[in-house]
This record gives sequence, structure tokens and C-alpha cells, in this order.
Amino acid sequence: MTLRTTRAWVLTTPLALLLASPLLPQRYRGRFSEDEYLPPPPDANEETEYYFVRLAYQGGGNGYRRSRAWMTDSPAADRHFLQGVRRLTNIHARSMEKYLRPLDPEIFNHPWIYAVEVGYWHLNPEEAAHMREYLLRGGFLVVDDFHGAYEWEGFFESMQRVFPDRPIVEIEPTDAVFHVLYDVDQKVQIPGIQYLRSGNTFEKDGVTPHWRGIYDDQGRLLVAINFNMDLGDAWEHADLPQYPEHWTALAYRFGINYIIYAMTH
Amino acid sequence: MFEFLFKYSPTVFRKGEFVFLTGWPLWLLVALVAGAAAGLAWHLAHSPKSSHVALVRRVLVCVCQTILLAVLLTLLWHPVMRVATLRPQQNVVAILVDTSRSMAIKESPDTRLDKVQASLNSGLLKKIQDRFQVRLYTFSSEPNRIDNAAQLTPAGNATRLGGSLAGVLRETSTLPLGAVVVFSDGADNTGGLDRAVLAEIRQKHIPIHTIGIGRTEIPRDLEIADVTLPARALPGSRLSARVQLRHNGLSGQRAHLSIRDGGRILAARDVTLGPQSLQTEEMLFLSGEPGTRKLTIAVDPLPGEEVTGNNLLTRIVQVTAGRRRILYIEGEPRWEFKFIRRAADEDQSVQLVSLLRTSANKFYRQGVDDAKQLAEGFPTTAAELFQFEGLVIGTIEANFFSAAQQDLIKEFVNRRGGSVLFLGGRKSFTEGGWQASPLAEVLPVRLGTQTGVFHRRPVKASLTPQGRESLLCRLEEDSDKSAARWAKLPDLADYQLTGELKPGAVALLNAQLPGSKDIPLLVVQNYGRGRSLIFATGGSWRWRMRLDHKDTTHPTFWQQLLRSLVANTPSPLTLTSDRVIYSDDDHVRLRAEVRTKTYEPASNASLAATLLDEAGRLTRFEMHPSPDQEGIYEAEIAAAKPGSYQVEVTAHRTDEQLGRDTLVFHREDGIAENFHPQQNRELLEKIAAETGGRYWRLEDVAKLPAEISFSEAGITTRETMDLWDMPAVFILLLLVLSTEWLLRRMWGAV
Repeated sequence: MTLRTTRAWVLTTPLALLLASPLLPQRYRGRFSEDEYLPPPPDANEETEYYFVRLAYQGGGNGYRRSRAWMTDSPAADRHFLQGVRRLTNIHARSMEKYLRPLDPEIFNHPWIYAVEVGYWHLNPEEAAHMREYLLRGGFLVVDDFHGAYEWEGFFESMQRVFPDRPIVEIEPTDAVFHVLYDVDQKVQIPGIQYLRSGNTFEKDGVTPHWRGIYDDQGRLLVAINFNMDLGDAWEHADLPQYPEHWTALAYRFGINYIIYAMTH
Repeated sequence: MFEFLFKYSPTVFRKGEFVFLTGWPLWLLVALVAGAAAGLAWHLAHSPKSSHVALVRRVLVCVCQTILLAVLLTLLWHPVMRVATLRPQQNVVAILVDTSRSMAIKESPDTRLDKVQASLNSGLLKKIQDRFQVRLYTFSSEPNRIDNAAQLTPAGNATRLGGSLAGVLRETSTLPLGAVVVFSDGADNTGGLDRAVLAEIRQKHIPIHTIGIGRTEIPRDLEIADVTLPARALPGSRLSARVQLRHNGLSGQRAHLSIRDGGRILAARDVTLGPQSLQTEEMLFLSGEPGTRKLTIAVDPLPGEEVTGNNLLTRIVQVTAGRRRILYIEGEPRWEFKFIRRAADEDQSVQLVSLLRTSANKFYRQGVDDAKQLAEGFPTTAAELFQFEGLVIGTIEANFFSAAQQDLIKEFVNRRGGSVLFLGGRKSFTEGGWQASPLAEVLPVRLGTQTGVFHRRPVKASLTPQGRESLLCRLEEDSDKSAARWAKLPDLADYQLTGELKPGAVALLNAQLPGSKDIPLLVVQNYGRGRSLIFATGGSWRWRMRLDHKDTTHPTFWQQLLRSLVANTPSPLTLTSDRVIYSDDDHVRLRAEVRTKTYEPASNASLAATLLDEAGRLTRFEMHPSPDQEGIYEAEIAAAKPGSYQVEVTAHRTDEQLGRDTLVFHREDGIAENFHPQQNRELLEKIAAETGGRYWRLEDVAKLPAEISFSEAGITTRETMDLWDMPAVFILLLLVLSTEWLLRRMWGAV
């Protein structure tokens, strides 16, 4: 690429993006607009037992997915969900989210971590080994918001690096994770905000929702995999009147169950 | 010398009664002596002949003459000793000769028994027979009458001094037994002289003369003197065996100590023998699977050891099957809860039943037996709570529990004998208002009133000296290595200030606050029949998350802590025996403590007891209520043959079964004599002193026949022995007169 063509790209790309912005999906606009500017809650620095920790992974590919996919829906989703956790449970939870890189040793101080858009995550061997160690010590990983065969492949590729020898299985409806605080119905697909535009509860070819998991040798869930659904959006848009409340409520229940399960098993 | 001066042996003065034969009043003697002294003093003071003599000289002369007069006047009163003596040929003297195997020990060049035989046959026996009727016995476990001292063979497997003396007393109960003579090394292996036997001997005033045989020390000997081990243990738990070594002449040498279960070595290490003859070594090992473990504790013989049979001891440990139940109530979901549960789930010996308050009004139960258990929340009755053996109270407000429940928890510790562990957290101790609860009394620390004392700041846990020695905090078998691991542990996530330790409480762990003094972290104390503990943090889970996933520090610590809560918690029926190993002894005393479901002593229970021997024979026996203690039942049974025995006892009251317990003990023969083979002079002296006899060395025993006569047992006569003609009296008079004469000579008066 010549210097001239580079300069042309630099000048034209932002302009093109600006012009095309009304055409971008609603969720992406939300991400880049108001959410980034949510001020920290007054008690954001309180030392608590539980922190909503997001895995700040490096995505594959280029651009947004490489650098920012991990923070999809944040911080609104995190803050809304945390308010629910604080109100509905006895968990001493901090009101503000926390972001940690896969190799950050601080990750071991937080045995619950959330990763989003994992169809585009990329864990290198060192990061995968670190995550494996984290999970084997007692950490708990929730992955969310990825859809269809293509994104599953993207997720699976890195997950295999974490646990090459542990199968990913469907979580049985009787598993404690669905009953630890709330008895939740796993047949309901929780869609993202795109539902308001498309009327579909699914995205891409991810028609059927799956609650999958990876277990340890003692039968304890290590990784909860929300495939073909988007709990993050349901939390993020908890205050959006157009987004159906029952999906948000269900997403809260799933999320809270994941935390309490992680704190009891 | 004594007998030359005082005419009679010391025994006459020790046993006899000092009297004056004349019958004149004693006050008259005192008055005459006082009068004579006064008269002499007056004479010396007023006599014109002595007026020029110095006062000191006059006083000295007065004293000498007063002593002279006093002695002469006393002799006029006719002093005598009255002493009971055995009538010749009318009394029986029992001579017991120890023929246990320890009497076969060679001591330059003869055996101990050879020396006894030589002594008896060299005229001693005949001298005694000249005065008394003699009954000759050999004894080891029991006495056997023999005709002469030629029939002595050192083959007895045990020495039972008390039992043998009791046997002789029984056999001679219709005879005029005047005295007992015991030839023995005193190496008793059944605990010395029984109190009842001693009381019987005292009552009959039978003096026992003991003749000590053998060296009081064996040169170059190493012995396992004792091993202290818990009789029961939980599966897979770390056990401590305290091995007491007695050695002589081997200081500074290395010895190899081991504990084996059959052919399997459970623990082994080298120890250096210290300057003291007794030293205790601690050996740690894992109890293993449920079942009865017959453990061999051995120390390898060292070069030049004369006796090696005492280098090995056997002990039995019952590893009980089944999980001991612990109730854990937690006020909020937190990481500590998760990792405690994980540690407990990996432990086959405990069942952690947990009740977690997930939201304001919801509880999540784990580890329950069925859907009904704890469905109504924390137990409200003693029967419901007391089915657990340990209790963990997490971070929850005191007023979550009703007043009745708080009393119940107190009784759980005090009466039921369970242990309760309080954990730190944002609703624990003063943060949860526990200082105003009746349970504050149970806590091992004095709570203050200050709140805001729970801090989510990293802090290091450190072992106290007591914690370093405690099995509860032991991460490695070696205490130094264990302490090194503790020093490297990651920080705790949080800590809580509680208060100062109560008297009797022991801190095993402290939290090291930066720039401040250490605060108690893990504290334990006994309370009633149980124990209470605090662990003033909710952040030990960092030992799991900040160490490699293969590291076992966190589960090991928590499993040990949880097991310590239940290891000694009594069940409704607790069966114990006075020993676990009966060496050459068949006499077994059993004791059962029976309680109701609410752990009140069960006084009117009926007990069904059976004894199963190795051949599969089942014998039923009775257990009787103790007259002294409510809820205690006792029995004495015989283990007829060597081998393992299992006792099973079931307690009922009306149709309700109160409890059931089993116990294993073992009888082994031919072992006891290997231990303590040196002469136990202390025991022999004690027996002689307690009964009015005398301890003799074998070389002094020629004087024994004359000494035996002085006894109040049997058919006696009271002898009157004059004292006026004792050489000591004349020597005294001569001394006084000579002193006065010499003084006068010095002063130029004669």
C-alpha cells in the first residue's frame, strides 16, 4: 500500500462511518454512544466480596472486534445487572464493573468472570493456560452473546486451547445452576436488542438457544456458555421500555444463579 | 554400729513403744529434773567457794551436772521398749520369688534368679525356717506354691506383684501369716500394687520385706517406653503418635523409628538420642480407610543393646466408618463458603450440611440427607440440632437466631459436647451484635463493642508457637517444613478484629497487621463438654485461588479444621476400655457413657453387650450402672486368650434405641517382660514402706531373719526390752562427766 492510498483510507474511513452510522445496528450505536459516559456510582470504590469482572480479551481480526468486542454492552449492562444482584440477593456486590486482562494476576482475586462476544475472542496459548489454571483453582467463567455456527467455531477454537480434554456439554435442566436461587426455564431464548428491529429472537443461524457448560472432574460447572442468546443486552436494556421485561427478568435470574452457583459449588 | 550403741535394731525403735516400767508419774520426773537444775544453779550462784568463778563457767558446770542428774533420774524410772514379735514356730512367713522372664537376665555371670537361689540356699531359708513356718512361692502373673528353692525357672510372661500378693493373702487367709518376703526385680508390668490389695495388707498389719534383685540400670539399652495415640480416628485424618523413648548409655546416637500397619510403613524417621534418658518424639501419619489398625511402633536395635525385645510396641486405632455431620449456617453467599464446601466435599470423613441465606428470605441447602432436612430453617429443637456433631456459624447477625436457638447452640457445646466454629465476616462478632448474645460467653475471645472492625484488606496469617505444634495447622508432617509453608502462604482477603483471648483460650494463628501488633485469627478453647473456635476472617479462599490448582494447602487446612470440630464429639453411647492393648493380662474394664437424644445422662437404660473373640465366639455380658455417676455403666470381663476382641454395646430405653458403639482391644502375651527390665527399686521400696516392711539389698539380706520377727500380724507376743543398759547411755554419762572434768582441768580448778 502506497502512502497516497494510506492517506486516502485515513481520510475517507471516518467520513464513511459517519455517514453510514444511521444504518448500523441499534446495539452497536448504543455501545458507542451513551454507555461509555456513565459516571461511576457514588460507592464505586467500596471494597466488596463480589465484583462483576469482564474478561478484557484481545479479539481476533481487526478493528472493533479485535480491540473492543469484550466490552460490548458495558458498562450499562454491568451496572444494571449489579443493581439487581444487590437488590435481589444477600451478595455484597460492588456497584461498578471491573475489567481484567486474561493474564492479569488480579484475576485470581475474583473467582467469577464474564466474557461477551466470545465468537470473536482469541486466547493465545499463554492466555489459555492462564484461564485454565484460573478455572481449575475454582474460578467460574460465563460466556455470552454469540450466535450461529461461525461464532461458535470462533469460541470453540480458543476454548479448546483452555480445555483440550474437557467436552462441552448441554447443561441438564436439573442441574443446580438452574435452581440455586431461581428455578429458571431454559427453553426461553433471550434475544438481543436486534429483536426490536428484526422481530427475531435469534441472530444469524443461531435459531436454537443452548445452555452449555464445561464441568470439572467432580461434576462442578466451570464454564457456563450462553449460546445463541444475549443476556448482556437484556441487562443493558433493562431500562428500555420497548425491550420486553420478561426477558430482562429471566436474564437477571440466569446471571444471579451463575454467581450464586459459583459461590456455592 | 546402731545396734552396738543402742543394743537393738532400728526396727525395734521404729515399731516399738517407749514406756517407763516403774509407773511413777512422768511429771514427777520432770519436776525432779527441774528442781535439781534449780538447786544446782542456786548452789553455784550462792556458794562462797564459787563466787570468784566466772558466770559462763558456772553455767557450763551447771548444765553438765543437770544432764547427769536428768539421765540418772530417767534411768530410775526404768525406760523400756515394748515391741510385738512373732512367736517362734507359730507363725507363717510367705516367701515369694519372682520367676518372670526378666529374672533370667544375666548379670555377671549369673542370672537374677540364680542369685536368689544362691542366697536362699546359702542358709537364709534355713534361718527363716528355724524361726517360722515357711511357705515358698514362685510368682509371675500369679503365685504357685513350691516345696524348695530348687524348682525355680524364669519362664513367666508377666510380673503381677499386686495380683500375686493378693493371691498369697487369699491362700493364707486362715493361717497366722506374720510377714511376707518378696524376691523380685520389681519390673511389674501391670501398674504396680493395686490399692485394694494394699489396703488389705495394711489392715492385717502384714509387713512386706522386699529384696531388690538386679541392676537398677541396663547399660546400653533403648526402649519404647510408651506410645500415646488416639484410640479412634476419622478416615484419612492426620494422627499424631507421641513415642516416648527411654535410653541408657546411648546418648548422641541415631536411632531409626517407624510406625507400620502390617508390612506397610506409615511413618519413619531417624532421631538423635538426647542427653536425658527419656525423650518424646512425635510421629505423624494418616489414619487411612475405615477399619481396625494394629500398628507396630518400632525402633531399630542399636549395636551392643542387651535387651532388644523392648524396641517394639503395638497399638490399636479404630478408624471409624461413616461421615461425621457438621451444620454450617452462612448469612450470605461468599467465596469462603464455596471453598469450605469444596474442601468438605473432598473429605470422606465429614458431611457438611449447609444452610445458606441467598436472599432476604431464601435459603439454599446443600449436603442434606433428604428434602425435609432443614426445610424449616435452622433447628429449633435439641433433638434436631444435636444430631450434628459440629457447627459452623458464618457471617450472620446474632439476632437471626431466636433466644431459644441461641440457648440451644450454647447447650450444643456445653451439654452435647459438640464444637462450634465462628467465622469472620461483615455480620460476624461485633458487626452482627454477637457481643450482646448469650453466645458471647461461649466464644474464646472477649468481644468489644466497636463496629467497623471487619476490613477487606489483605493480611498475612502467621503461626503462633501453639499453632506450630498443633495438628490442626500442620501442613507437613515435619513442623519446620510446615512452618515454612505457612510463611509462604498468600495473604488472606480480609480480617476482623475481635478481642482479647479469654483465660484458657489458645491462639493458633495470628493475623499480622502491617505496622501493628498481631491480632488473634484462629482461637480455640474448651467450653463445657465441647469446644469453641473462631476464625476471624472470610478470606482464606485466597489460599485456593492464589496458589497452583494442585496445591492442597486450603483443603488440607479446612479438612483438618472441620475434623477437629467432630473428632472428639461424643455420641449418645461412648464405650471405652481401661486399655487398648492388654499385655499378658486378661482383666478388661469397660465403661459406657449413655446419653439420651437430648444428651442428658440416661440413668435407666438397658444395655446389651457382646464380646466377639478371634475364633468367632460370641459372649454376652452385663453392664451395670455405676453407683457414683449417672449415665455411666461398667463391666469387668476376661480376655481369656491372646488375640483381638470386639465389644459391641447397644443401649435402649423402653422401645427407643439410645445408641450403639463398638470397641476393639487386643490381648498379647509374652511381651510385657521385655519392657522395664531393670530393677524397679522405687516400687519395691514403696511396697515395703507402705506395709511396714523394709527394702533390702541382696547383699544385706542375712539380717532379714531377725528382722522378720518384729511384726504385729500373726500370733505375736509383746516383748519388753530394757534400755537402761544400752551402751549409748553409759557413753553419754561418761561424756558428761569427762566434759566437766576437762573443763575444770582447763580452768585450773582440779
